[in-house]
Amino acid sequence: MGIKVVKRHGDTLRDKLYIPAIVSGMKTTMRHFITNIRDTSQLVTKSYPEVQPTDITDRYRGVHRLTKREDESVKCVACYMCATACPADCIFIEATERTDGLDEKMPAIFNIDLLECVFCGYCVEACPCDAIRMDTGIFSYVADQREDFILSKEKLLSHTRSKEFNND
Amino acid sequence: MEFTAVVIIFVNILLAVNLAVGTTPIMVWWERRVSGFMQGRSGPNRAHIGGIRLGGLVQSVADMLKLAFKEDFIPSFIKYKFFFIVAPVIMFICSFLTVGVIPFADRLVIDGVSYTMQALPIDLGILWFLAFAGLSVYGIVLGGYSSTSKFGMLSSIRAIAQVISYEASMGLAIISMLIVYGSVNLSDIAAYQGDLLFGFIPAWGVIMQPLAALIFIVAAFAETNRAPFDLAEGESEIVAGYHTEYSAMRFGLFQVSEFAAMSAASALIVTMFFGGYQVPWLNTQALQEHMNIVLIATMITLPLIIYSFTKWIKKNNTWVDASDPRAKESAILIKVFWGIAIAVVSILALILLFGLGTNGTNIATAMIQVSTFLMKFFLMNFFFVWIRWTLLRFRYDQLQLLGWKVLLPLALLNIVITATYVLVLGD
Repeated sequence: MGIKVVKRHGDTLRDKLYIPAIVSGMKTTMRHFITNIRDTSQLVTKSYPEVQPTDITDRYRGVHRLTKREDESVKCVACYMCATACPADCIFIEATERTDGLDEKMPAIFNIDLLECVFCGYCVEACPCDAIRMDTGIFSYVADQREDFILSKEKLLSHTRSKEFNND
Repeated sequence: MEFTAVVIIFVNILLAVNLAVGTTPIMVWWERRVSGFMQGRSGPNRAHIGGIRLGGLVQSVADMLKLAFKEDFIPSFIKYKFFFIVAPVIMFICSFLTVGVIPFADRLVIDGVSYTMQALPIDLGILWFLAFAGLSVYGIVLGGYSSTSKFGMLSSIRAIAQVISYEASMGLAIISMLIVYGSVNLSDIAAYQGDLLFGFIPAWGVIMQPLAALIFIVAAFAETNRAPFDLAEGESEIVAGYHTEYSAMRFGLFQVSEFAAMSAASALIVTMFFGGYQVPWLNTQALQEHMNIVLIATMITLPLIIYSFTKWIKKNNTWVDASDPRAKESAILIKVFWGIAIAVVSILALILLFGLGTNGTNIATAMIQVSTFLMKFFLMNFFFVWIRWTLLRFRYDQLQLLGWKVLLPLALLNIVITATYVLVLGD
């Protein structure tokens, strides 16, 4: 009847001797050792930071950036949607009146504390006017002081889209 | 004491100390880089002194300095500080002294006086090794027990379980070797292996006694606490085992003694089973008779080896950023290696021109034998590293089963066969 008998391994003399298995394992490690020591350029490990990773995908959520209008002014209208959606409470916005007639509001201060940020991308989802994006491709942000991890509006505006991402 | 005797004793002690302790940085480096290459990684290769990386060897120096200058910390919950402090020392001394009885070359005769080429001039040989190898487990047990932590405790229990399972078969494997060699003195054993079997095979222990060699090598892995028998450490189950509570140089001592034990074990395996200092097919007399041919062969092969090695360096020892001092390393290394090669070849040429006296021939023979021993020793150490990164750790009941149900009967059978053979056929 539908009973499937599974053959147990380890019953043969070859398996019980254990040495053939050890030898074949040692052959495998030796093969890897020899191929790698002959040509170290084939190693999977990259010599970071001199060699940067090339396999960061288009959808990678890196450090944020604030997008701009055609006239290079900030696109953000300081609606607080991102700050409300943020589960880590890392976005601090102060709104001010916009006088150039393009819109009514704009952020005077737009700070993101990267030490609080969990890089969930909810701010990007929440934004009604595509003003904040995480497509910079910056995966590592280094600073000496805690204060340096708070990105200001100017800093966020200076970030650009990663060069590898060319599909709009 | 004469000047020659002092120099020879000094050289021997220097060799023994370097084999025991000096190889530790090299072994740590090998362990990390060989494992890296086996797993498709590169291992440590960035630490440098003025751009010189030596393929990552400088990293070992950095690690050593870090351990030496770290705070010497003893946790407050340790009740018996004396035992806690003395444990790594016991383990270190035991594995350190073991190398003392290894002969590095055949008896060196200078002006008619014969000198033994081993650091400790005692005839105990294998018994000395067995005594101190057995004793070094006390370091582990004491260290784990006195750290008053569950991990240390479990590790001590495992170490004891391990000792009782391999020591018996190890001793029995040695007995069958003693029947063959008829001596416990390692100098005699190494000298015996200079002969040829049936006129064309070197009479190495591994050829005469393959089963004993296998059993002894397996037991030596267990004895040195190396994978696949590093149950006492068991990182995945009991943190770091007996040295969980240790830090700084006390931990460093454990580390050094682990590698010293590995060096001692591979030196003993080489001496007992792989001909010791003997060059295959060239025993001491043959070496002395054909010294000029050997020197010419060295003069020809050395530049070839250096040529292929520098080619390898040029290809593989590179650095992406050309402004970094590390980018200039390869050029410097290639110059240094060619300098060494030219120096050695010219010294050999001078020797060939002016000829060696009797003393000179004897010293040259000893030097060739020492370098042969070192080559075999490092190959054996590589084998230890190779096994470690191939095999998985045994469960400790599996080690006990292996020790008692497989190795012990095999060792007994081997003794019976060897003894019968020696009795019936005579020697």
